[in-house]
Amino acid sequence: MDVELRPKLVGQRIKRFEDPRLLTGAGRFVDDITPPGTLFLAFRRSDHPHALIKSIDLGSALSVPGVVAVFDATDIENDLRPAIPSSRMKGYYATPLWPLARGKVRYVGEPVLAVAAESRYAAEDALDRIQIDYESLPFANRAEDAVADGAPLLHEDAGTNAIVVRSFGRGDVDAAFAGAAFSVGATFRLRRKTPVAIENRCYLAEWDKRRSALTLHSSTNIPGVIRDVLSDCLDLPGNRLRVIAPDVGGSFGSKGSLYPEEMLVAVLARKLQRPIKWTSDRLEDLASTSQAFDEIMQAELAVDADGRLLGLKADVIGDIGAYSIYPWTGALEPVQVVSFMPGPYRLENYQARVRGVVTPKAPTGPYRGVGRPAATFAMERLIDMAARRLGLDPAEMRRRNLITAPEFPYRSASGIIWDRSGFQECLQAACDKANYDSLLRKRDEARAEGRWVGIGFASYAELTGIGSRISVAPGMPINTGTETATIRIDATGSITAAFGIASHGQGLETTLAQVIADELGCRIEDIEIQHGDSALVPMGTGTYASRSAVLGGGAATLSARVVRTKVLKAAAHLMELPVDKLVAHNGIVSAPGSNQSITFKEIANAVYAQMGRIPHNAREDLVASETYDPYFGTATSATHLAMIEIDTGTYGVTVTRYVVAEDCGRVINPMIVDGQVQGAVAQGIGVALLEEVIHDDDGQIVTASLADYLIPIAGTMPPIGIVHVETVLPPTQGGFRGMGEGGTIGAPAAIANAVSDALSAMGIEITTLPITPDRIFQLITQQGSLPQ
Amino acid sequence: MKPAACEYVAARDLDHALQVLAQAGGDAKILAGGQSLMPMLNFRLLNPAILLDINRIAGLDRIIVKRDMVTIGPLVRHRTTATHPVIAKYFPILTKAMTHVAHHTIRNRGTFVGSLCHADPAAELPMMALLLNAEIEISSATGKRLVSARDFFLGPLVTVLEPQEMVTSVDLPFTSSSTGWGFEEFARRHGDYALAAVAVTLSRRRNQARHVRIAVMGVGETPLRMTAAEEVMDRNNLDALADVVEAIRRAVKPATDLHASAEYRRHLVGVLAGRAIAAAWGSAQ
Ligand SMILES: Cc1cc2nc3c(=O)[nH]c(=O)nc-3n(C[C@H](O)[C@H](O)[C@H](O)COP(=O)(O)OP(=O)(O)OC[C@H]3O[C@@H](n4cnc5c(N)ncnc54)[C@H](O)[C@@H]3O)c2cc1C
Repeated sequence: MDVELRPKLVGQRIKRFEDPRLLTGAGRFVDDITPPGTLFLAFRRSDHPHALIKSIDLGSALSVPGVVAVFDATDIENDLRPAIPSSRMKGYYATPLWPLARGKVRYVGEPVLAVAAESRYAAEDALDRIQIDYESLPFANRAEDAVADGAPLLHEDAGTNAIVVRSFGRGDVDAAFAGAAFSVGATFRLRRKTPVAIENRCYLAEWDKRRSALTLHSSTNIPGVIRDVLSDCLDLPGNRLRVIAPDVGGSFGSKGSLYPEEMLVAVLARKLQRPIKWTSDRLEDLASTSQAFDEIMQAELAVDADGRLLGLKADVIGDIGAYSIYPWTGALEPVQVVSFMPGPYRLENYQARVRGVVTPKAPTGPYRGVGRPAATFAMERLIDMAARRLGLDPAEMRRRNLITAPEFPYRSASGIIWDRSGFQECLQAACDKANYDSLLRKRDEARAEGRWVGIGFASYAELTGIGSRISVAPGMPINTGTETATIRIDATGSITAAFGIASHGQGLETTLAQVIADELGCRIEDIEIQHGDSALVPMGTGTYASRSAVLGGGAATLSARVVRTKVLKAAAHLMELPVDKLVAHNGIVSAPGSNQSITFKEIANAVYAQMGRIPHNAREDLVASETYDPYFGTATSATHLAMIEIDTGTYGVTVTRYVVAEDCGRVINPMIVDGQVQGAVAQGIGVALLEEVIHDDDGQIVTASLADYLIPIAGTMPPIGIVHVETVLPPTQGGFRGMGEGGTIGAPAAIANAVSDALSAMGIEITTLPITPDRIFQLITQQGSLPQ
Repeated sequence: MKPAACEYVAARDLDHALQVLAQAGGDAKILAGGQSLMPMLNFRLLNPAILLDINRIAGLDRIIVKRDMVTIGPLVRHRTTATHPVIAKYFPILTKAMTHVAHHTIRNRGTFVGSLCHADPAAELPMMALLLNAEIEISSATGKRLVSARDFFLGPLVTVLEPQEMVTSVDLPFTSSSTGWGFEEFARRHGDYALAAVAVTLSRRRNQARHVRIAVMGVGETPLRMTAAEEVMDRNNLDALADVVEAIRRAVKPATDLHASAEYRRHLVGVLAGRAIAAAWGSAQ
């Protein structure tokens, strides 16, 4: 059989290689590792939103048995340099990141001092005995107040709370609005949320006196970035600083930044020359892990009489919390809100301003979808509001405005270049899969019975697999656009492939093995994928921003090809056949048309172990290390369709039907893609209906337990129908597009639209997420039509 | 989030437990299922000198069926209550209520009695004890007393229990098999503590409601009997429903918290009451 016709592993529903160890409890997370002599840290965190630290009284803390030392900022001042989340953005202020608050605190939950003890229990006992005196400072809790003139400043050196200000524009928006049939607008509010990975953050640092070297085990998804920044902070060369992310129990972005506690364990391991470990508990996680999605978006859309989009105006305030996060900066989320707001639509005229504002809350950072869930929520609501004004079906409204095949590549009004992706096709596929016409009938029948049922769409596009041409975060000086794969066949014939990525639930050990097995022609079970370790490749940044399948898969393809060529050349010598007659498949090199064949194992043995089998000047190690850079990124597009029902008495919202049609290019493993979609939609449902970090007027975080911060549970989830639309393959290596985040981008908007549809008879438009029963109650009460 | 050190005592039998409580000078805490106590210890909201584990005391885990009541021991787990055939037969409303109590793993350990002693104002079992006229047996080294559920709950997480006392059983008197019942609860997610819940029993005689009992929770500091509303419903039929609902909304004083405003809760408890009363009416024979 021609090799090209042989079944490929790419495209198959291969069970995840990760699962046996994870499901049988054989996984190994940072907290599972405790070297002898480890000291455990416990933090005293600020209980003030904004205050000067007047004095610290250790009391009898040091006399608690097992307590070794207590540190505040002054004790480690000379042990490190701060991390600076720099950016080339004009007018941006980079807040320096130190492990412990210096002189003043800026949010409730900020680490102020740390106790190191033989057990976490002893460390917490000591914390109880320490007294910190604060002098309260005025603060502006709400972003809209913090941005106002005269608001108390969180970082005096910045001279402003708006540490990020940017504008976008194209065309003549005023003329577009002047010439429009009408416009729709609202102030949309997406409430702050927190990612809630099942594994809390955990760090273990060990100092090796012999080598003067530091090893940090970190629950991170960016080990390479952490290695590089700590190298600066600690003044240690990269070959004496290794960051390892073993099994990591989810991140959703929250483990993709540098943290104060992470810096501190590293500093203290060197200072005390003992292993230092800190494991976050859930309270700390909810108070101090990076939060997200805190946006106020004033947006207005101008439309002509046929429903065609003419112009869009947006003014966005992003509440970025107390610090600009390393390395992404506080610009990451708010700037993406305005750059993605025009969505997958044909739209010439756009004017937008965004301000990222510091407030006394935990810093915000990346969270699945970054900026696009907010942007999509605002834009998709506007599309539906306009459709309602026109009496146009929302699907038809989108059909008229989604970019069509001949228009690609399309430069969006904010400057993003969309390569061809199934913008229109996904809308159609979602309608087909859901049987849209019959859903409409069911909705109308239910309404005739007095039930509140609604249907909502969300169409969006996202840029994935971003190469070196584009910064993942605006102006960020770190190159995230390349990925390296080092593949080697060893003397036993087994294959090791090492990457700079850091899989933490994505199943990349499976999908990358599928890619390599196809390209190299080896057996998939002979491959071990290594990742999550800064020592594996010279430079690797990790797994985030829907990049690993595209960049890792691309690098894997390039390296596997080089190794295959070497394998075939060696085989040609051994088989005494011309190399172009040979093919590799399933671990065997054969010559089609002959019955000669040789296994990879035999070839490896001949290359490495048998003297003289290969002519000495033709002998090559079976290794390669290639780097892939897609240069630009590629568009992943999707349409979500949600059907919901609102209980007419309790106002509880139930999602009854959900469909996702997405174009992520060539699907490596449909089962894994389905899993990513399911999980991301679950988080999107959380955004839409449940999750909200709440700070009271005193600046206290009042959602600091999972009884108060509600995440979706199994019972919240509807069955999800998923369609994979493959229009044309993108120009990325392998034709892959990124798809780890999309579900979270579409679901909040689709559900908001469905709820608005259900309440449309009362003229209610949803503008704030999450949609809680109480919020629906308030909206209905305001309309003055409280039904019994 | 680690508890402070304390002495751990596993009681051998009831006498031992009561002795330990008597000698602890008020500074012992009973550990039953631990599903509410352990978080409080971990948050250091409680720092007892002694943690008294009653889980190894034999015989406390039974539901004993008597002629006119069942008696629930202090180690009867939620799962046992939820699946017990006698409960299902005589107290179907309790079986229904149990489906709203937490999640499987928690139900496997959490206890009926522990829930009453914990006295969370949004927990189902204190409300059910109130509705079903439970009698609570409280023991100490010096004797026993019986307290009716009506007098047991004083406020959020506060009961009449003294530190040296232990609840040793709860009696639930049978109601007539012709009793109709309705149970309605609303929580943001299934299994969470409720935003509000309403439990109703009544019997029907000549198209008139009799023996009406309405209990609510989540809308006050303790579970509450809605006596004024009960009177409105008594000797009436469903035509009185709107008035009953109004009487309930008037009687409750819900608080605003993270999850809902007071106004919403007042609205909600009325909606749930309307549904629960209609269900009770429909199922009464
Ligand atoms: C995630 C989660 C969700 C939950 N959801 C719900 C829910 O929806 N509805 C609900 O009702 N409950 C819920 N619970 C609470 C659960 O039902 C508890 O188990 C119950 O409230 C307490 O029972 P326990 O046996 O665990 O008591 P423990 O935690 O052991 O004790 C609770 C308190 O009662 C005291 N105590 C226990 N037994 C006695 C006794 N015999 N005499 C005197 N004092 C005693 C203890 O000292 C302690 O103060 C939830 C719990 C969790 C963790």
